[in-house]
Amino acid sequence: MTELPPLTPQFVLVAAALLVFGVDTLLPDRDNNTLLAGIATAGTLLAAGTAAWFLSAGTGDAQFVQFDGAIIVDALSLFFVVVVGSVGTLVVMASHDYLDDADSVAEFYALTLLAATGMTLMAAANSLVTVFISLELASLPSYVLVSYLKRDRGSIEAGLKYFLIGALSSGVMLYGISLVYAATGVMGLPAIADTITAGTDFVGVLGLGIVMLVAGFAFKTASVPFHFWAPEAYEGAPAPVSAFISSASKAAGFAVLFRVFTTAFPLDVIAGTVIDWSLLFAALAVVTMTLGNFAAATQENVKRMLAYSSVGHAGYVLIGLAALQSGGGAQNSLVLGASMMHLLVYGFMNTGAFLFVALAEYWDVGRTFEDYNGLSKRAPVACVAMTVFMFSLAGLPVGAGFLSKYVLFAGAVQSGFAWLAGIAAINSALSLFYYSRVVKALWIEDPRDDLSLSGQPTGLYVAVLAAAVGTIALLVAFDPVAQTATHAADVLFAG
Amino acid sequence: MVPMEYYLLLSAAVFCIGVFGVLTRRSALLFLMSVELMLNAAGINLVAFSWFHGNLSGQAFTLFVMALAAAEVAVGLGIILTLYRNFDDIDVTNATTMRW
Repeated sequence: MTELPPLTPQFVLVAAALLVFGVDTLLPDRDNNTLLAGIATAGTLLAAGTAAWFLSAGTGDAQFVQFDGAIIVDALSLFFVVVVGSVGTLVVMASHDYLDDADSVAEFYALTLLAATGMTLMAAANSLVTVFISLELASLPSYVLVSYLKRDRGSIEAGLKYFLIGALSSGVMLYGISLVYAATGVMGLPAIADTITAGTDFVGVLGLGIVMLVAGFAFKTASVPFHFWAPEAYEGAPAPVSAFISSASKAAGFAVLFRVFTTAFPLDVIAGTVIDWSLLFAALAVVTMTLGNFAAATQENVKRMLAYSSVGHAGYVLIGLAALQSGGGAQNSLVLGASMMHLLVYGFMNTGAFLFVALAEYWDVGRTFEDYNGLSKRAPVACVAMTVFMFSLAGLPVGAGFLSKYVLFAGAVQSGFAWLAGIAAINSALSLFYYSRVVKALWIEDPRDDLSLSGQPTGLYVAVLAAAVGTIALLVAFDPVAQTATHAADVLFAG
Repeated sequence: MVPMEYYLLLSAAVFCIGVFGVLTRRSALLFLMSVELMLNAAGINLVAFSWFHGNLSGQAFTLFVMALAAAEVAVGLGIILTLYRNFDDIDVTNATTMRW
């Protein structure tokens, strides 16, 4: 019996991207939208399915090290391949209708698949070299995807700002990598931890390097202080791309952040001598979630509100790193697992919410809360789904967002970070205000007289409903998935 | 032999020039050049300390970085081209249709 290589999901994604290019080259004159969307959906679905299968078969426990230790396949990387793959599937399905009359659809699907490859590799990167390269592999296609509508000024402006801040943060991050290399002389994450344990002469250089590394991760996860591209990029980009970047790219950024800081700079090695980064992340978490939620509360544009709420959610997830303690043992796995869990749930509910915005853009109803008035009279099913997303994002028990937030905050309290959990809970309560504004507009307000919805966007509808089903299914089946996430964190700490 | 601190100072100076350019230049092309300076400052560190530590991973990584920088410029120039077509200018402060 032959065995599949541990990197099968990544291979599948690359193969699907090349197949999309190939089909478009061989059949240039036909309208290939449906065929290409089918290939891309199959690719992402297969990648997510393979990773889920590996995860349930226990492949992740073994820690397959590839390419001289530069790539590692363990439970954490497989978990995030599932997140990226399922978000990618929803996004590609939705893009089919969104791109109905666009001219270069093949590039769109191929770039989405290549970006997904980069994100899955980010989750598997085990050396600063692969961290940086996979980060760029995820970023470069994303810049192009954001500015995909090349005759739309908003899309170009969004792409420009995303690119400028991305280039700046990757420059800062690379300089950080060079400083860490200067201090330690190695690139592999476990080797860096060993060198620091043995002692280094360049403590100051190392500390500065670690802080600069955070810049790159803060950009990718849309956390303060590199968050200010997020509202523009999410608002101006095509809505499926906003969904992809705000869910999958953020999850991948957190995956690599978790691995780098727990493997290369473990707290018990580094906290006393170089820098206590859990404090740094606690401060970032507080600022990020507060800024995100307050800014979201003042928005009139639904997409922009979702963008700032995405910044706020990055703040919640950062609690997972902030609440780690040296020698925390099982408690550390619990908190980090809760963060990963929240990212998975967030992948479904946030993607769904952005895809509902895509649906509204498809129908041309407008972008503000008022434009959404009375949509439930015309499209009740999609509006039920949107209501589920909104309440789940706010943390009400109609979706899995309730449980993942609860576990995360409870984990922080148990680790002795009750103040952090308290701030998060206050923020979460505030978020109910602006999420329920959408629900109020959809269900309670009366529609404009001329509101009519034309077109049958089947793919969009299916994607929105699938995301809603996923959000609710995770609420019901929370336990096994949470155990998988905690186990993945266990494997990470043990490695 | 040149002490290692000199390499660190040189790369820090190049990096700071890059950051200064990023913060002050309004032309998107000058912005790209400034980012290149930042990336190359990291390259100086990598090569210098590759020699200092006696392994080649820093030098090998620098080659990757140069390729990545070229790819980034390619994507960036594409975006700047569409920026010019839409806004008739490559001043990065002009594109402000969205505000919080």
